[in-house]
Amino acid sequence: MRARIPWWRHRRVLPWLIQAAAALLVLLVISALISNLVVNLSAAGLLLSWRWLGTPAGFDLGETLLPYGAGDPYWLALLSGLLNSLRVIAAALVGATALGTAVGLASFSRNALLRSLARVYVEVIRNCPLLMQLLFWYFVVFLGLPDGASALHLPGVVLAKSGLHLGPAALVDGVWRAPIRLSLEFTALLWALVVYSGAFIAEVVRGGVQAVPPGQWEAARSLGLRPRDSLARIVLPQALRVIVPGLNNQYIALAKNSSLAVAVGYGDLYSVAETTLNQTGRAIEVVLIVLGSYLLIDLAISALMNGLNRLVQLHER
Amino acid sequence: MSSSRHQQLPPQEQLSALETLRLACFANPLDGLISLALISAVLAAAWQLLRWALLQAQWGVIAANSTLLALGRYPEPQRWRLWLLLWLLSTVAGLSWGLLRRQSWPRNDLLATAVLTGLTLWAPAAVAQPLAVQAHWWGLTAWLLLLRSSAGAMAARVPPPVLQCWALLWPVVYVSGMGLIAGGLGLVRVPSPLWGGLLLTLIEACFAMLLCLPLGLALALGRSSGLPLLRMGAVAYIEFIRGAPLITLLFLGQNILGFLLPGGLSPDRIWRAAWVLTVFASAYVAEALRAGLAAIPRGQVEAARSLGLNTAQTLSHVVLPQAIKVALPALVGQFISLLQDTTLLSLIGLMELLGTARTVLANPEFLGRNAEVYVVLALLFWCCCAALGLGSRALEVRLNRQRSVAVR
Amino acid sequence: MTQALAADVVMLEARGVNTWYPNGHHALRNVDLTVHQGEVVVIMGPSGSGKSTFLRTFNGLEDFQTGSIIIDGINIGDDLRQRDAIRREVGMVFQQFNLFPHLTVLDNLTLAPVLVRGRAKTQVERQALELLERVGIHEQAHKYPGQLSGGQQQRVAIARSLCMEPRLMLFDEPTSALDPEMVQEVLQVMQELAAGGMTMVVVTHEVRFARQVADRVVLMADGEVLEIAAPEQFFSNPQHPRSQQFLSQIN
Repeated sequence: MRARIPWWRHRRVLPWLIQAAAALLVLLVISALISNLVVNLSAAGLLLSWRWLGTPAGFDLGETLLPYGAGDPYWLALLSGLLNSLRVIAAALVGATALGTAVGLASFSRNALLRSLARVYVEVIRNCPLLMQLLFWYFVVFLGLPDGASALHLPGVVLAKSGLHLGPAALVDGVWRAPIRLSLEFTALLWALVVYSGAFIAEVVRGGVQAVPPGQWEAARSLGLRPRDSLARIVLPQALRVIVPGLNNQYIALAKNSSLAVAVGYGDLYSVAETTLNQTGRAIEVVLIVLGSYLLIDLAISALMNGLNRLVQLHER
Repeated sequence: MSSSRHQQLPPQEQLSALETLRLACFANPLDGLISLALISAVLAAAWQLLRWALLQAQWGVIAANSTLLALGRYPEPQRWRLWLLLWLLSTVAGLSWGLLRRQSWPRNDLLATAVLTGLTLWAPAAVAQPLAVQAHWWGLTAWLLLLRSSAGAMAARVPPPVLQCWALLWPVVYVSGMGLIAGGLGLVRVPSPLWGGLLLTLIEACFAMLLCLPLGLALALGRSSGLPLLRMGAVAYIEFIRGAPLITLLFLGQNILGFLLPGGLSPDRIWRAAWVLTVFASAYVAEALRAGLAAIPRGQVEAARSLGLNTAQTLSHVVLPQAIKVALPALVGQFISLLQDTTLLSLIGLMELLGTARTVLANPEFLGRNAEVYVVLALLFWCCCAALGLGSRALEVRLNRQRSVAVR
Repeated sequence: MTQALAADVVMLEARGVNTWYPNGHHALRNVDLTVHQGEVVVIMGPSGSGKSTFLRTFNGLEDFQTGSIIIDGINIGDDLRQRDAIRREVGMVFQQFNLFPHLTVLDNLTLAPVLVRGRAKTQVERQALELLERVGIHEQAHKYPGQLSGGQQQRVAIARSLCMEPRLMLFDEPTSALDPEMVQEVLQVMQELAAGGMTMVVVTHEVRFARQVADRVVLMADGEVLEIAAPEQFFSNPQHPRSQQFLSQIN
């Protein structure tokens, strides 16, 4: 009886057949692509190899954390690029979180002016492409900064056309000298990322606070807590349950957006990779390295945020 | 959530304007201080901006390059085809608008009409277009508004099947528009490197928007399917794409796609980029749609199955109509990102709007006009994205009013 | 005479049905049930007793691993076409109504007959309006489900199932999600349906309905059928200790 059911009507057989067909199709496409790849690559004399990583790169990077010069090999250039990426990502994460939280909370302020300013900031930033904002900040604002004596200086911070100087700075022969100098490209990229991601994080924070039932505010108020205490002790801890997963998405987006550094000439991973490809023609290897690195960065951020998420969720029980 | 909170507010007492202002901004000394500081900062910024815009900025760079920014190097003798395309677009847009709204003219529609009319009268004149071109734009807008009102009046008599299939008209419009732009079939061919500016931005964005929907739907269905292999495949695709920055995927498309396809089959740079945008957007669209699918209670499927509907009928008549409504705001959000993401094409050397703007800025004649060009571009993008966002919010409100989606 | 003849036709026959949930829980243990044409069977039992699971196996919404279920001569097996055939012949009414919120009441009724049976829309609409009149809500035909009360929605759901002209109707706690004042209007419709000769299997806690309408009452607990009896006997003189316990709890 059971054997006589044709396969296209059999409840247990049909799903497996569909899956097998789909898997076969995908495998066929992938193997066709790979065989094309092998044929085309060997025709171009570019079969997969990693030996070129050890040859001298021959190009310089504006700023690096590691000691790196034009005579050093490609792998060191790519590693320096990765570290540059990580540096700007880490700094931007901190800045954007601070800005986003402040703006997100400002949208609940009693002050109508503050509320509407927060709204205007979010709407202006979210509806403009990041790349254009970055170019605007770099070419219009940062390259338009004064230098020398007329630079913007506060105690410990000097922002000039020559870069951002941190620590006790002194003007020597019209040039600022300070313990830490961050290049203008880094500063512009960092600023653009902070301002852009800050708007999205503000929305995440606002959504999280809004997701807390109004009854919680009322309960806090009826216990006699001041509005600031109700927010900090009652509402925010609950809002975090909604905020943290949203932040995870925004942090990953920020990490990916940092690859726009190439537009202002900051030597991040992608821009080093692009130069490397142009010089070596090693498209496959370079793309694999770049995609793999970003995957690792994403995974690291997700792991961190998942840990945080567990902490926040446990809080409730 | 937020709307229910609004309803809980007591009816507002009538306060004088001054009293309202005092409560809103100067409720206590600290608030007052903050307000004063904000007001002075905003006024100072506005004053600087105004002074720059009216006295220092040299807007001549926009007028001198307006055609380049709009069309790239599209050859002059063939531009009549783009006008024809604009007439086609305004026809379809006017009809769609009318059929959607019928005879009602809500406040938003009046606002849109006013903005459109104002723009038509002002923008072509502002960039110093000849009077004939200005008149052409007036004609286009008048035609659109005329169709909006006449289609609205006739909408009641249009048979429902036509309305249901109306959305399918847009792919047809896209294909015929591309025919007009590219040429062939008796028209002079205009090779793709000559397309540029806003034209190229729209070609790329619309291509990706149209194609990422079916692709994203297939992925979303795969990811919510009960078949483990399909689910794993969809998850792998979506997570791979969402893990990579768009610029590296565009880079992959430009440098590796040629190796992956048999010789000669690889599309040219513009279409390669369009495909990468599609592949990229489809992963995000899939996630938006999946959230929509997940929001539909299981009882809906069970009811449909107990009535004898098969899987395909259940999907197309019960699940998808509801899931798409739930996913709509997220989908529009993805479209807004997609439109913004087209600017990244300038980084791989395509002359879309931002790429064209950067060539203009590289021209010694317009050196240092960065601020003017970027501000205009920003305004353009901002208006498009904000309009999309407003439209989606209006639609959302309407759908919520209908209560036409099952809630758990 | 006719009643005796009809009672001989078996509409539903479940033999030795066993169901394990994916988590290993043994939800149905060797359950047997026979329902004759025109009969009304009420299944009662404490929550978690498997009565809803049992009902849902009758139209393939729930799987079973061993045993057999034959409905109107069709065996529920692995043949997808037979499952579809059974679903066409078996109507189901849910606790949560499960009306399609994006369709008007009328479209809710006509969707399946047009799609599944391939009938002409105008003809189905005429039948749907008659059914709506029978359940007392034909004025609401062009409203959306969200605009109706719970009781009205459940009556629409019953009409929606009837529009497919089923041979057997399943009711899964049809009044449990209703406000108390709306329960009666739904039970009224079900009672009329039973009086019209419809074969029905009803999972419910409504004792009065079971007493007045049921031909037999089934008591389930822990995935087993413990007692099958005529209502007067079941409610006045239950045999199984679990039946006595259950009745004392709900009274």
